[in-house]
Amino acid sequence: MRRALFLLLTATLLTGRPAQAADKIKVVATIPDLADMTRQIGGNLVDVTSIATGVEDIHAVPMKPSFAVQLNRADVVVLMGLEAEHAFLPGLLEASRNPKIQRDAPGYLDASVYITPLEVPTRIDRSLGDQHPMGNPHINLDPVLAKDMARAIADGLSRLYPEHEAEFQSNLKAFDTKLDAAIARWEKEAAPLKGKKLVSYHPDLIYFAERFGMEPIGTIEIRAGVDPTPGHIAELEDKMRREKVDFVVREVQYPSGLAESVAQATGATLVELPVMSGGLPDTKDYISFIDHNVRTMVKAAQGGGATGG
Amino acid sequence: MGSPWRYGLGGAVLVLGLGLVAGLASAEDPSVEELRRDLESMKQQLQKLQDQIKKQETVIEKLSAEKKPAAAPAAAPAAPPTETAAEQEERIKRQVTENIMRKIQPSLVAANKTFPSQFNPAIGLIIDTVGSYSGEHGGNFELRSAEIGLSASVDPFVRGYAVISGSNQGGFDVEEAAIVTTSLPYNLTFKGGRFFADFGRLSKFHDHDLPFVNRPIVLDEYVGGESQSDGVEASYLVPISQYVNLTAGWYNKMGAENERVDNTIPRNLSEFTYLGRANTYYSFTDAHSVDLGVSYAGTPRVKEDLNNGRSLVDWDLTYRYIPLSQASYRGLTWGTEVLYNQETRPVGGFVGGSAAEVAEANLARGLGVTSLDGSTGSGQAIDTSTGQVFQRKGAVGLYSYLEPRVTRRFYPGFEFQWVESIDPGIGNTLAYSPYLTIWASEFQRLRLQYTRLEAPGDHDNEFFLQWTVILGSHVHGFRDR
Repeated sequence: MRRALFLLLTATLLTGRPAQAADKIKVVATIPDLADMTRQIGGNLVDVTSIATGVEDIHAVPMKPSFAVQLNRADVVVLMGLEAEHAFLPGLLEASRNPKIQRDAPGYLDASVYITPLEVPTRIDRSLGDQHPMGNPHINLDPVLAKDMARAIADGLSRLYPEHEAEFQSNLKAFDTKLDAAIARWEKEAAPLKGKKLVSYHPDLIYFAERFGMEPIGTIEIRAGVDPTPGHIAELEDKMRREKVDFVVREVQYPSGLAESVAQATGATLVELPVMSGGLPDTKDYISFIDHNVRTMVKAAQGGGATGG
Repeated sequence: MGSPWRYGLGGAVLVLGLGLVAGLASAEDPSVEELRRDLESMKQQLQKLQDQIKKQETVIEKLSAEKKPAAAPAAAPAAPPTETAAEQEERIKRQVTENIMRKIQPSLVAANKTFPSQFNPAIGLIIDTVGSYSGEHGGNFELRSAEIGLSASVDPFVRGYAVISGSNQGGFDVEEAAIVTTSLPYNLTFKGGRFFADFGRLSKFHDHDLPFVNRPIVLDEYVGGESQSDGVEASYLVPISQYVNLTAGWYNKMGAENERVDNTIPRNLSEFTYLGRANTYYSFTDAHSVDLGVSYAGTPRVKEDLNNGRSLVDWDLTYRYIPLSQASYRGLTWGTEVLYNQETRPVGGFVGGSAAEVAEANLARGLGVTSLDGSTGSGQAIDTSTGQVFQRKGAVGLYSYLEPRVTRRFYPGFEFQWVESIDPGIGNTLAYSPYLTIWASEFQRLRLQYTRLEAPGDHDNEFFLQWTVILGSHVHGFRDR
């Protein structure tokens, strides 16, 4: 018995790679969008990893012990905030044993601090679904809000490492310039989307819709996080026909069958979109991710097919 | 000059501001859609008003320019100081702000009155109810537990939590009440109080968190139910890139229903229970991983076991397949624990009653031992105070379950159990249980289970319907994953 314990200990200690010396600021971001922004702002000063790869549902990212190890060594954790990561981050932070990055510690950088969220509930009640008391957390889908997120990251890093403030702020400016140019292009390209109505699987497209003048009509889920029932789908389809909804958006982490049948039944165009960068092969960074979503929606609006490819 | 215009505009802004406040105050639970529409309408009105102000300002400036030459004779006495346009604007703004503040002041005061309660811990209640029918014993509805969980930070150094449970057994029981450090260096965490010791995997799950209706028989029999312990525990995350966690514990005893040791009477150092555990995690791909652990709990001297020592070892393995892009809809979990218990136990189990009754039981069990000198010469020993015959036995037991996730709601599963009795002279138990878990939402779960039980003296078909809900605060703990 004791021998078995000893053998297991020895095996795990031997197979584990030794911790590497740290010369860069170690940052763990919860999603690839934040990782990309942090890389652009931190430049050569940071070493950034992301917990999610981009294909996950942010509310159901598996809590792997290897993430606890990453967080254990981190100087900074960057999160989207507004309780978006409630399913995995609090547990992982506790398991990380790293006081530097616990909630409200200096190394805990919440990218939503400069943002006024939408859909802040007026009543907190589980009958209304898996609510986010601080508002809808899917802020990363609005590229204008992404500027505020990047600013929060830059300001957070500057507070933590004032000796590098000038570099962080200068990198932020460069990122903003790039993003501003892209936003101007997207706003022009997205003109055909103005006034279009959409139904998504989960209420995660509200910021994207707001930015490009679209109108979200409902969701396939009954409430956020609650799977649909046949009754709800029938009601939704009736409403979609009445309101002449243009698109059914299936976020890539949700099943395709139901979204397809709802689109078919109502004559809406089915569109498949990622909700984080990395969600599809051509969405490697934040700008290419929004680029993909705008182009896909515009193509669908112009009758170019029902895929997000 | 232009004052009537400005007063009119100021009044309009004031009315709009007050209207906004009054509207917000009187609205009872408007939907988000209604609020958004109201906001849009307000924005449009405000835009119109701003446009109007600009037009009127242009008119005022024109009029002022026309009047200037006639109105300023060089020798005229200085006019009494009048408000400039900027001052008027400032005054109107101040008036609007004051009025709005007056309106919202009661709400602010009310909010401040709740300030002391803002330090209250997060509170959650879990109701776990089970309806069962057994071919041998009949049916029963059981409120298995109504469990209140409280949790909060104490200060920058520790947090505290408690789980208080009531059931149809009557009364309330403090299942856990513990203090946990949060900011120790060197990857260390200390825990003290009453808590579920870090032994194995499912022995530290509360009943309602188990993947099936009932706690595995091997955990009930070998550990004594949940691994509830009063004591202290230290945990260390080894600082290497491989996840390795080590735990050491020191407890009065381990197991909520373990009655070998009295939890309330002080004891010799050799009568405490000492724990060691190591667990690790390997990820083969993004989707395939395995958790491995080995735990040892030893009690050097157990009075009830004729002052012999007890050793309990647990090997746990959990394989998970979780496709990242479909984590809520697809997956597979295979969990297995094997336990080995070595202990001096009464042959045939404990017999209550007088020495005569014990002797009778011994004879019935074919022991035929009557000598009370403390030994039998055949590896057995006798409790001289009761006449009960004891024998050292190493017993093995296990459970293994497989649970695929086929949709977001439906999790079918199958559990297999095989357990040697820890008492010598008693046969083995075999059980298998197909079950189906239905998640109505993240906070409500129904479970149907059938169990075929083949235990010594108990061959039974059991049917269960479990209904579990979570109210209030709920956290996704790392240990319960």
